[in-house]
Amino acid sequence: MPFSKKSHDGELFVDHRASPGIPDEKARRMGYAPGQLREGGIFECATLGCPHCGSVVVLNPLRARERAHCYQCNRYLCDWCDAARHEPDYVHRTMREIADMISSGKWTMSGTMSRPILTPTGGKDG
Amino acid sequence: MAKRVFTSQGLTFGATAAGSVATTAQYMALKGGASTQLIDVLEAMVSGMATASTVAAINLARVSTLESSATALAAPHSDGGEFPNITALSSTVVPFTAATTQPTPSNTVTDAKLSLALNLFGGIVRWNAAPTQQWQIIGNTAPGGESILWNSSTGGGSSGLANAHIIYEPY
Repeated sequence: MPFSKKSHDGELFVDHRASPGIPDEKARRMGYAPGQLREGGIFECATLGCPHCGSVVVLNPLRARERAHCYQCNRYLCDWCDAARHEPDYVHRTMREIADMISSGKWTMSGTMSRPILTPTGGKDG
Repeated sequence: MAKRVFTSQGLTFGATAAGSVATTAQYMALKGGASTQLIDVLEAMVSGMATASTVAAINLARVSTLESSATALAAPHSDGGEFPNITALSSTVVPFTAATTQPTPSNTVTDAKLSLALNLFGGIVRWNAAPTQQWQIIGNTAPGGESILWNSSTGGGSSGLANAHIIYEPY
């Protein structure tokens, strides 16, 4: 079965058909482009999950810059995790791997989701 | 495991700043039931019920300082399985809208916030994740153990009435 990267797309749907919508200056402050949330309109765009930090990114349809891609995961990466992976002490770990480590009870996590600090809990195998 | 729906009805989403404690009974939050629990958040929907134009900067965000002593969810809010014969988990997820000390939506630059802004006067916003692209909550401590659906005054939101739901799947 052919694989399409679009099969990973989630959906953001904002319906202002029965609403005054959001003024352009406020829309800009909320991360939308002016005009996307005006009265009487519908705004739809794709979202993607980041496999490294477990967050979801609303893909700006007007973005011209390239988006990051992790060739180890073969998945889209959010900008924060893309910045983190270029740091010298970076260790590649997906959210799923981190979840497995924490689920084992041998590790705890602190720091941020893009730059997690994993600390052994002190067990024999920790 | 099995999908669950956390629903709030007639909740006033009060606008508070990122990095400040949220206001009691004016947000929806989900916390892991154990230090090893994983929760996949699959959908969030907010349906505005305001009677006048009210722009709300609703965000699904991580919590930087967790709540203390979450208050048990009470009607008209609800949390239940999509499958009627759902089996109870050994670690029960904590859905709540109030606590002794309220959670603090993260103001950390590298913590994710999913923007779900809308006009609560007739507006509807729905985010739905594709398989494997879900928002994830891990454990029950910061930074990943709790997420909050809240109205951000930092993002220019004003307080307003809405109904909302979060569909999630705990493991």
